[in-house]
Amino acid sequence: MTDTQLNEIPALGKLYVGALGSAAKARLSAAQAPQTLPAARHRVTGARVELERLADFQRLVQHSASDYLPSGFVHTFAFPVAMSLMSRDDFPLPLLGMVHLRNSVEHFRPIHYAEPLDVTAWAENLAGHRAGTQVELIAEVSAGGAVVWRGRSTYLAKGVFLPRFDRSDARGPRPDFVPPPPTALWRLGADAGRNYAVVSGDFNPIHLSRLSAKALGMKRSLAHGMYLASRVVADIVQNRQEPYEWSIDFDSPVFLPAAVSLSISDTEGDDGYSGSTFVGWNQRSRRRHFAGAVKALPA
Amino acid sequence: MNDAYLNLVNTGITKEIAKKLGLPRPSILRRFDPAKPLVPGPVLVLGKGEAADALSQLLLGWDQDVRRHATPKEKLGAILVVLDTAAAPGDLGEATLAAGAALRDLAPGGRVVTVSRPAAEAQEPEAAAARQGVDGLLRSIAHELRGGATANGIVLANGVQATAPGAAAALRFLLSGKSAYVSGQFITVGSDAGTLPANWNTPLAGKVAVVTGAARGIGAAIARILHRDGATVIVVDVPAAGEQLARVANEISGTALQVDITRGDAADRILAHAAERYGHLDIVIHNAGITRDKLLANMDESRWQSVIAVNIASQLTMNRTLLASDTFSPEGRIVSLASTSGIAGNRGQTNYAASKGGVIGMVRATAPLLAPRGGSINAVAPGFIETDMTAAIPALTRQVARRLSSLQQGGLPVDVAETISFLASDAAAGVNGQVVRVCGQNMVGA
Amino acid sequence: MAAQSQAEPAASGGPTPAPAVRKAVVIGGNRIPFARSGGKYTYSSNQDMLTAALDGLVARFGLQGERIGEVAGGAVLKHSRDFNLTREAVLGSALSPETPAYDVQQACATGLETVVSLANKIKLGQLESAVAGGVDSASDAPIAVSEGLRRALLDLSRAKTAKQKLAAVAKIRPKDLSPNAPSTGEPRTGLSMGEHQALTTAQWKITREAQDELALASHRNMAAAYDRGFFDDLVTPYRGLSRDANLRPDTTMEKLGKLKPAFGRSLGDEATMTAGNSTPLTDGASVVLLGSEDYAREHDLPMLANIVDAEAGAVDFVHGKDGLLMAPAFAVPRLLARNGLTLDDFDFFEIHEAFAGTVLSTLAAWEDDEFCRTRLGLEGPLGTVDRSKLNVNGSSLAAGHPFAATGGRIVASLAKMLHEKGSGRGLISICAAGGQGLVAVLEAR
Repeated sequence: MTDTQLNEIPALGKLYVGALGSAAKARLSAAQAPQTLPAARHRVTGARVELERLADFQRLVQHSASDYLPSGFVHTFAFPVAMSLMSRDDFPLPLLGMVHLRNSVEHFRPIHYAEPLDVTAWAENLAGHRAGTQVELIAEVSAGGAVVWRGRSTYLAKGVFLPRFDRSDARGPRPDFVPPPPTALWRLGADAGRNYAVVSGDFNPIHLSRLSAKALGMKRSLAHGMYLASRVVADIVQNRQEPYEWSIDFDSPVFLPAAVSLSISDTEGDDGYSGSTFVGWNQRSRRRHFAGAVKALPA
Repeated sequence: MNDAYLNLVNTGITKEIAKKLGLPRPSILRRFDPAKPLVPGPVLVLGKGEAADALSQLLLGWDQDVRRHATPKEKLGAILVVLDTAAAPGDLGEATLAAGAALRDLAPGGRVVTVSRPAAEAQEPEAAAARQGVDGLLRSIAHELRGGATANGIVLANGVQATAPGAAAALRFLLSGKSAYVSGQFITVGSDAGTLPANWNTPLAGKVAVVTGAARGIGAAIARILHRDGATVIVVDVPAAGEQLARVANEISGTALQVDITRGDAADRILAHAAERYGHLDIVIHNAGITRDKLLANMDESRWQSVIAVNIASQLTMNRTLLASDTFSPEGRIVSLASTSGIAGNRGQTNYAASKGGVIGMVRATAPLLAPRGGSINAVAPGFIETDMTAAIPALTRQVARRLSSLQQGGLPVDVAETISFLASDAAAGVNGQVVRVCGQNMVGA
Repeated sequence: MAAQSQAEPAASGGPTPAPAVRKAVVIGGNRIPFARSGGKYTYSSNQDMLTAALDGLVARFGLQGERIGEVAGGAVLKHSRDFNLTREAVLGSALSPETPAYDVQQACATGLETVVSLANKIKLGQLESAVAGGVDSASDAPIAVSEGLRRALLDLSRAKTAKQKLAAVAKIRPKDLSPNAPSTGEPRTGLSMGEHQALTTAQWKITREAQDELALASHRNMAAAYDRGFFDDLVTPYRGLSRDANLRPDTTMEKLGKLKPAFGRSLGDEATMTAGNSTPLTDGASVVLLGSEDYAREHDLPMLANIVDAEAGAVDFVHGKDGLLMAPAFAVPRLLARNGLTLDDFDFFEIHEAFAGTVLSTLAAWEDDEFCRTRLGLEGPLGTVDRSKLNVNGSSLAAGHPFAATGGRIVASLAKMLHEKGSGRGLISICAAGGQGLVAVLEAR
């Protein structure tokens, strides 16, 4: 494992442009792609949060504008470091067209926006998937020498099949989804993707407009998975103290504009609140978009 | 509601044109203004006897210039013709002719007032002839007057002094601008009852009055005048008129009571309101009324019944309750709105005329019930009054109707209100069971 | 993270009323007829309507030029220019301009909260007289500029140099220029109030028929009350309206049954809430005259009822723990316990009909053994509300519901009912947005 120190949190836009370049290069050269994950960690130290960006993010996901970082915000803050890893030439999967399958996050303590943060990212668990190849990107955020937040994002490179993995088309029967009574309704405008792109820096074209999404083979633009995750988690943990962990699985993309029905169910343990489960679905088609859980961790 | 013609013939070049063309030239009437004198000049008192002397003293007490003989070329504010002692037709001439000689000197807005005795109470045919003669001569003088001057008479029942409270109050009312649109009429003072007010500017001080149909028009004007004269006023109208009613109440610092007077419990509600807020009720003005005009040949039952129900049946029901109530003062005064239609009839108004004729009958029959307790009930019969109701009359008809009176114009709601306030005052207690027309001596039903 | 349990034992139901305070009485009330949104009051502002309601009250009680101790009022849908709505209405009214006023805002409980807070001031001797009220216009609702435009404009106002100003203006995007109309959605859930209630209605298995029956009773009761003149001294006409425009005296179960569900369509066949058994958007205003007993006596004013006590409640509806409009189900038992009363001690129940389902869900909850044990901390069901005592002169389904004006409508009507009866008590229950509720007890005099 080698550590690569970056000077600052990279700009995602540049990474995407680089990714477009390498995708073209790969297609042109038809060179043999790497088959394993790079044994490298990318690191940024002493990174600072911009207050205005934090406030914009908090407003967008309807989190109270506190001085502490919403869990989803930490992800957007740290994500470019993981992206820089994925954009390396020796990364086995193409950055563009990756599908977000899952996130799980451990958030150990409140993180004040003024704290200098160290971000370390690496990749793990390259594995076969019936639709391609999946990989996990881990981002770890530390402050004062201790890990305060750890996120694990699972991505799928659709249609990319590495020879090392057997093609498994074992697609288990998908259980019929019967929506529970909703507890909330999100009306997401056609601009929901653009708005989140502005506060997160994630200008992936599939989120920006119908045209840019079409260029990448989508029928319409779609909402960022992390927007959905950040918003639902913000709703659940709003007034609750860290530590907690949460995870979300994405089932089907949220094409914009959208009306997403949501059901959040809180559970009480002997010591009070113990966690929540949530599920989001298309209000009209009743197709499930995502589901997940938040769990309180022992302090 | 605006009589444009009246303004035209009284201003500028159009005034001159009207003069040359010999068009009817109605005058702007002299209406009450507390800042102005009672009459616009000296009062010439004609006639011989105790009454003439006593009335002269009364007028002097009111700080009026009194003349017992006309001074040539001197403008007069009023001419008082005292004929109470006339025992035969021949007795009328001297004072009447003297009055005639002074008529040219009568100021615009001047007044002629006769004082006489009722023909019906005369012992001798000669006396009856003389007394009834006053009726004819007075009404003729009224027709003859111009410049907004009026002529009216006070009729003193046998035994009633010329300076009895009722007579004094009637005289003051008739001399003042309050009677601007009353002309050719007689006010009969039937008794010495009544007390003169401590302050003539607030003759209704301390009184609590109810005015029905007070949201607009004549009713609102009555409420304002009663308030001006010192009364606390409860304004009543149907719930649907509540918005305007509230505005009237707030303007006059009264209270609004929304109730349909055709409800059986209307009087109870009014009495309860008065009892709770003020402890007593002294004056009730039955003003609420509706018209549902139609030639009798085309009249349907609902038009007929609704007019009867609102205009007279409700008043009968309410009076019964009022008279039985402790809240309604023993010296309570009721004034009811009749109409010249109820006296003379009017084409297309059989229902309305029946109801207003009914009011007159009711007033006459109720008066003896109130007299013993010191109360009174009278009616006022308006002629053509400029209101929302008359504004709905077709323009030409309206113009004609306006000119069909000696004063050649319509009256204003305030003219009706002034007469009502006079009849509602304690000073007028001696006037009971009477119908006073406020019609500018309309040709109809004279 | 421990959530506070609502289930405090009712027997120890919080504070007890202070013993030595004097009484606060309802002298009377006034409202303008309620109009349907976009109807007769389309061009009337909240201030116009509140002023009209005040002027009618002044006319009814002869308060012209009177300096009232304090006037409190409010609106739910409020323009920023109306920061002093009630005071401005007072200045435009026939009351003395020396009458102080303040604004209150507690969603649909605004009107009742003004009554409660002013009554408390009277009880404490701070006030002799007071006017409580509320107003709302769904027709003249504020339209806000978009968040982007708003922030750009604020930046512009702060900018000092031309460059800063240009930068602020440059931030404005074409989409920022489209205005935002107020949403009826709960801010934290995005669900409309009707959608929330639809979930609660389904949860309590309230049938369509039961809801339509309640709506029918509301219309019939209110029409009958109008016909017998009950509202003659409670309502002053405005803008050509002399009765509530929403009132349908001739409605029937058949007519109500034909309406299509308006809320809870995501529930499929279980959707039961229609425009007939839900309140429409409404414009209107109401005010209530309150006073000490001394004030009423000295001014020869009637005393209709005492404001005995009140209790506010709120539920955790955000993740569906309780229904959005179920707070009164929790507040009433606490109020009863504090005053040593049961549901059998009331002659009138005025349960605000935000939706027929709200009333019926609340009644069902009070009859539900498990709910009352586990959620209310009672030993069994709270009890049954005698339906012949419920909203006997109609309620919001018939009158309509101009949010902040509903409290004043109910207080004035109930006080009159109690006074006419001459004895007994009435219970008021009003649900409000944000999972809130305010309930109160009045007693006759």
